[in-house]
Amino acid sequence: MSRVIVQRLLGAVLQVLIVTLLAWLLFYVIARFTGASPAQRIAGKNATAAQIAQVARLLGVNKPYWQQYLIFLDHLVHGNFGFSYVQERPVSAILWPATRATASLVLGAAALWLLIAAPIGAYGGLRPRSAGDIAGRTVAILGMSIPVFWLAPMISYFLGYQPTQGKLAGLRILPVGTTLFPILGYTDLGQNPLEWAYHLVLPWITLAIGFAAVYIRFIRTLTAEQLGEDYARTAKAKGASTSRILVRHVGRNVAPTVTVLLGADIATALTGVFFVETVFSIPGLGYTGLSAIENLDYPVITGVVIVAALIAVLANTIVDLLHTALDPRLRRITNI
Amino acid sequence: MTTEMQSIELEPGGAARPAGLMATALRRLRRDPVSVAAFGLLVILVLAAAVGGPLAAHLTGHPPNQQFAGALAADGQPLGIMQRTFLPSGHAHNPHGSLFVLGADALGRDTLVRVLYGARISLLVATSATALALVIGVSLGLLAGYLGGWVDSIVNRLTETAMAFPNLLLAVGIAVVIGPGLLNVVIIIALFTWYYPARIVRGATVSTKRMTFVAAARTVGARPRRILLVHLLPQVWGPLLVYGTSIIANNIIFEAGLSYLGVGVPPPTATWGEMLSDAVTSGMYQTDITLALAPGVALVLTMLAFNLLGDGLRDALDPKASR
Repeated sequence: MSRVIVQRLLGAVLQVLIVTLLAWLLFYVIARFTGASPAQRIAGKNATAAQIAQVARLLGVNKPYWQQYLIFLDHLVHGNFGFSYVQERPVSAILWPATRATASLVLGAAALWLLIAAPIGAYGGLRPRSAGDIAGRTVAILGMSIPVFWLAPMISYFLGYQPTQGKLAGLRILPVGTTLFPILGYTDLGQNPLEWAYHLVLPWITLAIGFAAVYIRFIRTLTAEQLGEDYARTAKAKGASTSRILVRHVGRNVAPTVTVLLGADIATALTGVFFVETVFSIPGLGYTGLSAIENLDYPVITGVVIVAALIAVLANTIVDLLHTALDPRLRRITNI
Repeated sequence: MTTEMQSIELEPGGAARPAGLMATALRRLRRDPVSVAAFGLLVILVLAAAVGGPLAAHLTGHPPNQQFAGALAADGQPLGIMQRTFLPSGHAHNPHGSLFVLGADALGRDTLVRVLYGARISLLVATSATALALVIGVSLGLLAGYLGGWVDSIVNRLTETAMAFPNLLLAVGIAVVIGPGLLNVVIIIALFTWYYPARIVRGATVSTKRMTFVAAARTVGARPRRILLVHLLPQVWGPLLVYGTSIIANNIIFEAGLSYLGVGVPPPTATWGEMLSDAVTSGMYQTDITLALAPGVALVLTMLAFNLLGDGLRDALDPKASR
């Protein structure tokens, strides 16, 4: 068991290393040939050649590339992501609150999509080809086909903006100026948990719908598969109620697989975060990364890429380890 | 019923007659009304992309990138659905008529014509990126699966890292560094999608290469290249077809997403993503929701068609499915 964990962790470290190398190559080496030099960017437009040379010396861009990469890594390990070209702040001071906002968005949305998908998927697996199953699958394929960058403005418009104009679903049934849900702004969880959740309702829904659709299909297939197994039939023959079979027997077998998928999809959700955060003005990693890209603020872009990769790798690793804990069969095999 | 009984499981019996398998799948597809509808939708889409744009531009007299000052109302509101424009003299502003079927955007360009032209970019980029991804993925997958050893390890590491990655961010980063353009977008998208086919092909190759028919081919003197292309590749067509369909769907979203973020095919070329982002980032969609609805609905319908067809293909190729 411990050997599996060590191997898994080493693999994760290797993945992060590859990501840092890629990010460094792209934003520190290749970018230098396509745009203004970082020394020029930091020293400013009016800097003299001597000033630029001074900054270049401080940045270490005159050293050989392998040394530069090692210095870059050394800084990363010490939490030093460099200095933003635009915001005049250390990148780490920008990344930390952004990571909190993005984590709120993604984790909340993940809880929501599981909450939506579990009952619909389980019902579909239990009663395949019933009216409820067909309805669930139709909703799922529709949900899968709606890109999040379209869903975000739609939800913002129909649930956020239109109510302020006194309309709901196009009908004039609300007083003008009603705020059903806020469409802008973000409050940190530590400041005011209620406001935090209230501001995140629409972003959570937006991010959750596409994934809920995918999970309805996953859970449906898995449930149907497990219900066909001997143990499920035995439980039924012994007179266990349907809900007991679903929760106690099938649920325990479906949960580990769903957990693994969840790990991978938290990484995928970081993609949707871009669009959701920009539409709803949440100062998270996506929002920060995009404005950094607009400003060609390479240290911030690099920081966002690396933090996002860290989150993705971390989520995958935790989930893999959790999978071992949840699935007794894996424990037994790895113990031998 | 004998052809019906054939499965695509990787066994020598099925492998000997891949044509029978395809025929079975086709027959199953034809009997599935949802797949037929999805296919019909795709045909309409391809037609819209191929001739729809120029045809609409000709009929309305509105080229996709031309801005019509008359399509902007005095208060800066864009023209709505089915509205017409007139010259100050009261005459229609061009000889073909002045009808804007889906209205006009903030710059006075015809929304319908632009949506139709957008279909071209979506399909062109998505299919060529998918083709490129398949070529890379299939080659690497075949090599990794067949050769094993360090080639396999490297390919595995690469796919694992690539899959654990929030790839849009890096894609945008690369796009910013190498610059916008049609070809660049295709390359970037392929760069982030080759690993799905690579994994499928690798898995299938590993399980197939120990089969007797491969050993037999080797015994009669077939070279590795022939074994790979003639004996192993046909084994993975089924799953590749299914994945290819869903990858095209994903790539359509990928392209639209890149355009939406302003790093796709550069303006003024009409793309669905760029039309959406124009409407959303300017806030104009709150004044006229059609601007966001038109490209959005086009995207959703396209995705729906590919997703439904992918589902149908998977069921049709499923050896365990009821016949």
